[in-house]
Amino acid sequence: MADSKPNVAALVAQMPDTDQQQKNPNDPNAVKTASKVTGPDPQEAQKAFAAILDGGRETILELIGALRDPSDADFRDYKAGYVLHGVCLLAGLPGKDDQRKVLAEAMASQLKSGTQSAAAKRILIRQLQVAGGKESIAAIGECLADESLSESAVQALMAIRDGVAEPLRKLLGKAGGRSLVAIAQALGELRDSESLPALRKMLAGGETDARRCAAVALTNLADVESADAILKFASSATGWERSHATDLCFVMAEKLAAAGQKDKAAAIYTQLRDTRKDKAERHISEAATRGLAALK
Amino acid sequence: MKLYPRRVTRRHFLTGSAAALAGVSIVPRRVLGAPEVPPSETLGGALIGVGGRGPGTWSEMSKGHKVVKLAECDVKWLSQADNKTRYTDFRHVLERKDIDVVAIATPPHWHALISIAAMQAGKDVLCEKPMTRFIAEGRAVINAAKRYGRIYQVGTFGRFSASKDPKNILNRKIMKSGLLKNCEAVIIKRGGLKVKEWSGLVNAKPHPVPPNLDWDMYCGPCPMKDFHPHRIGGTHRGYWDYEGGGLCDMGQHYLDPFTWTWGKDHTAPVEIEASAPPAHPEACGMWGWVELKYADGFTLVFDSNEWGPLYSRKQYRGLKLEDLDEESQKKVQAMPDEPPLLTFAEAVKTRQPAGGNAEVAHRTVTILHLANIAIRVGRKIKFDPDKEVIVGDEEANRLVNVPMRAPWHL
Repeated sequence: MADSKPNVAALVAQMPDTDQQQKNPNDPNAVKTASKVTGPDPQEAQKAFAAILDGGRETILELIGALRDPSDADFRDYKAGYVLHGVCLLAGLPGKDDQRKVLAEAMASQLKSGTQSAAAKRILIRQLQVAGGKESIAAIGECLADESLSESAVQALMAIRDGVAEPLRKLLGKAGGRSLVAIAQALGELRDSESLPALRKMLAGGETDARRCAAVALTNLADVESADAILKFASSATGWERSHATDLCFVMAEKLAAAGQKDKAAAIYTQLRDTRKDKAERHISEAATRGLAALK
Repeated sequence: MKLYPRRVTRRHFLTGSAAALAGVSIVPRRVLGAPEVPPSETLGGALIGVGGRGPGTWSEMSKGHKVVKLAECDVKWLSQADNKTRYTDFRHVLERKDIDVVAIATPPHWHALISIAAMQAGKDVLCEKPMTRFIAEGRAVINAAKRYGRIYQVGTFGRFSASKDPKNILNRKIMKSGLLKNCEAVIIKRGGLKVKEWSGLVNAKPHPVPPNLDWDMYCGPCPMKDFHPHRIGGTHRGYWDYEGGGLCDMGQHYLDPFTWTWGKDHTAPVEIEASAPPAHPEACGMWGWVELKYADGFTLVFDSNEWGPLYSRKQYRGLKLEDLDEESQKKVQAMPDEPPLLTFAEAVKTRQPAGGNAEVAHRTVTILHLANIAIRVGRKIKFDPDKEVIVGDEEANRLVNVPMRAPWHL
């Protein structure tokens, strides 16, 4: 911890102005005059980031207080967000895990703030995607139910990965629309076996989007109990959905084969080989034939 | 919210196909069931992403065989799409049985997913460079090409001429022989990487989404951000969401002959270090140089010549046959020449991998992604070329396989 509290505003202000200032953001031609940045002197910038990180929680919160998204009415420039990102990267260096946790906790604490806009909270979640760890999971998990934040929250949790299944699983039966799809897919990618019953129920249910994302998740989980249902889903599908679902069957077969369940894999390949007779699906029957041959 | 495409009715599909076929009478090769494409056969083709590099990519795909364009697709055609010859959703295009080959010239954040979906649907693919947006996408494209036995060619072709140059052939033989005990080669690429030109804006306020643009579909697997005109139409290159700045834009051109010449088609650098100002979280920005070392000692350097002092750690050093002992020299000289690389058209006809196939294109673009990761995290990183993960740096490793926005997934 530094002896005296750093001057956050001054540290932020020392970042360089953009090369060419945006003269009138409402001008449709503003893109021509909008701004690129050459960047600060790396050593000077690192000193500023270190001062903020060393300043601890209160200093970090002051920086977060200055954070604005470009869509916020009082957005002035890129500098506070840029500095926060620099602090997150610095905190990722080996040996700085204690400071990283303080930083992550400070960012996470602002996700419930009434003063931050949803856009600014999304910036914080994206920075937690960079620097967050196990200590951030609960706070990000609480954002899953907020439609304006859930998409960013799922992506941040998937970057953190270790230990994130529980908050996602809790919402599996409650979320809807795109959030449900994101959560189900995430749980599959995490290989969360505790989600199997809920995902199987989704696959058996009537709603096509839910069935589709459940099929993706159950394939990632290599759930042998769902193999027949996924095959049926693929066989009854048409158009793009058919080739997408068929690919899940191949992935399932490959995973089962890798897990030593060659008979189950062979059953999938055999069905694909024997049922895809349309000449436009010849690549499917050929791929299934190759899959069968590889099992021997 | 539109998660998946509206179903195309049989009537709609037939109408569209009939309209498309009215002007050109072709029978798709897969409908004929031909194992290979006879030289006289005409293929049905589609172009996905018509702006910028669209015409050029289509032209490259059409070389050496007869391809008739049956469909075009672009997310900026909301009011112009007829789902017959003009589409906004690539999935409708891929549903068509009369399309055999697909040229993809969208921004790079769509390259991998559309390539994979096209190969799942049985199409061969020529995809504009850079091949991918992050490293894990490349492995998924390779797997799809293998699983379905499809042809994939990346849209840069420098290796085709490089592979005919005797000097390059010798360099490749030396490297591939495994006889070089201590590789001291240092290859420096200085300038020409359009770093400032393809950097992003950092103060850009949101703009209304143009009425003809499907912005949700444009963003696709990337985080949904506010619209700004600089995020589309070529300048998308300046945003990490969609590409990797001038390095990714120009780098695959430069590296396509490089990876062939130096025998780096099946491996990747193991240590990567960059000199750059701290990176912006959204906008690709400036950098000075990136040094990439391979496990065998071979060093590749990018020097932007646009920021900071020039790279001065090492000097350029090529390879010579004399770097080997006498016996090894004889062995290298006795090595047979490799067969010529197959063009996309030749690969489609013979069903053998194209010269710029998914595996080699992936290894090439991986170099660029690793360079950008080192720039973005601002520290030296170590990469395992077999497992394709960054070792000992959790933050950096999060950029190897970036979470996608659902419902999109690898």
